Amino acid sequence: MRVLALVLILAALAARIASASAEEAFVTNQLSDDLMVVDLATARSVATIPIGGKPAGVAVTADGRFAYVTSPDAKAVTVVDAATRQVAGRIEVGGGPLGIAVAPDGKTVYVADWYAAAVRVIDTASRSVTASIAVGASPSGLAVTGDGKLLLSADRDDDSVSVVDTATRERKAVIKVGTRPFGVTIDAEGKRAYTANVGSNDVSVIDIATGAEIARVPVGMRPYAVALTQGRGFVTDQYGGTVSVFDVATLKPVKRINVGDYPEGINATADGKRVIVACWESNTLDIIDATELKVIGEVKTGDGPRAFGAFLRRTE
Amino acid sequence: MRKTIGRAIAGVAVLAVAGMALSAAWAHGPTRQKVRESMEINAPAAKVWAVIGNFQDMSWLPPVAKTEGEKGNEIGATRRLTLTGGGIVDEELYKFDAAAMTYSYRITAVDVKVLPVNNYSSTLTVTPSADGKGATLEWAGAFYRGFPNNDPPPELSDEASVKAVKGLYQTGLEALKKKIESGS
Repeated sequence: MRVLALVLILAALAARIASASAEEAFVTNQLSDDLMVVDLATARSVATIPIGGKPAGVAVTADGRFAYVTSPDAKAVTVVDAATRQVAGRIEVGGGPLGIAVAPDGKTVYVADWYAAAVRVIDTASRSVTASIAVGASPSGLAVTGDGKLLLSADRDDDSVSVVDTATRERKAVIKVGTRPFGVTIDAEGKRAYTANVGSNDVSVIDIATGAEIARVPVGMRPYAVALTQGRGFVTDQYGGTVSVFDVATLKPVKRINVGDYPEGINATADGKRVIVACWESNTLDIIDATELKVIGEVKTGDGPRAFGAFLRRTE
Repeated sequence: MRKTIGRAIAGVAVLAVAGMALSAAWAHGPTRQKVRESMEINAPAAKVWAVIGNFQDMSWLPPVAKTEGEKGNEIGATRRLTLTGGGIVDEELYKFDAAAMTYSYRITAVDVKVLPVNNYSSTLTVTPSADGKGATLEWAGAFYRGFPNNDPPPELSDEASVKAVKGLYQTGLEALKKKIESGS
């Protein structure tokens, strides 16, 4: 009887661990023109969804229902039903859609037009572009604060970040950062933002409330994007083939982890234990243990994975 | 007075052109392209490395007439390739590992008429064969198309950039194989 109880407890515990890490990665394989779904618990590919138009950016809704994917060559955003793995719709946005972010309530999607100084606003109910927000040149990464009130756009060719009030859809501040910011990531508290500066090989640390850059952290060559977990920042260094780790309290470099070639999209899992990296050149999705700071798994992807945006989906 | 104004205007024009050149070097299309070519060479890896392992000498690549540069094989070393047709390519070394027989460099300046690419980086790696008698040289490139904006003309499209780089790599690898195997 005691043994049985113990077995049941162990089984329940195992189920809890499994559900805590029940998460999927939605990876844009730009050169093979599809979106692949990777189950992170088993580190296996579970679906491949044809997209077309050289998909690059991706944003999964907080409730996990949809993944929105940008296709710059098709000038469109594809709506994917995340659970059924089916294309649910396609929204013509024009220009060169690249960076993408979805509001926490899932009602609005923001798309950066790489060739114009503008962010297009999509109403997800009608699946149409309903507004346009003027930002700086070559907007790249986008991020929305947890309360949904602010949208940040990394305006690459202006070396700055635009802060947009999502209620008025107007730019309320411009923050100068390092050279050629690409990815932008906001912390869970909505206090700080971090940009990966491709041209100056560093990360700008922004205080959102004061609208000022408060520090620069040196990283590897040609940084692409930043993920945050366990009090640390994880930065993909495209030319370096590394993930640079820094301490968000001291803003000092901690370590560089060797990953696949040309690492690009990077996200931390919801439980904070893993960091997932899409390696464009080596066609792999690398899984980093966020405590041990080493690669603990690798999944084969299609050709040219970018996964630029919030590409992880919670399934529990 | 007129001369001064003329000079001032010329100065502004030069600055404007410099500014354009700078932004052109950074702006790029939405899709990075990949080319990976390799060649088996009937010579020990060390011999292949001896030919390609000096960043300051790219004479093994047929269109290269002259290599001039600074800082040898140090990280950050630069070189200027002058091609037989007069084209110029400026490059910078950013990875170099003699033990692993590999290095990576990037193009810092090139006219798209010479090579229709932007943000080009490339890696050469020599791998010994299992019996040590032969070697494989791999040349991998990552780059964006020559046209930085939307809707590129055909000669500056994604396809045109891949075709040009693939052609360059195949020509280079074949010439190198011939050079080494003939003992010259």
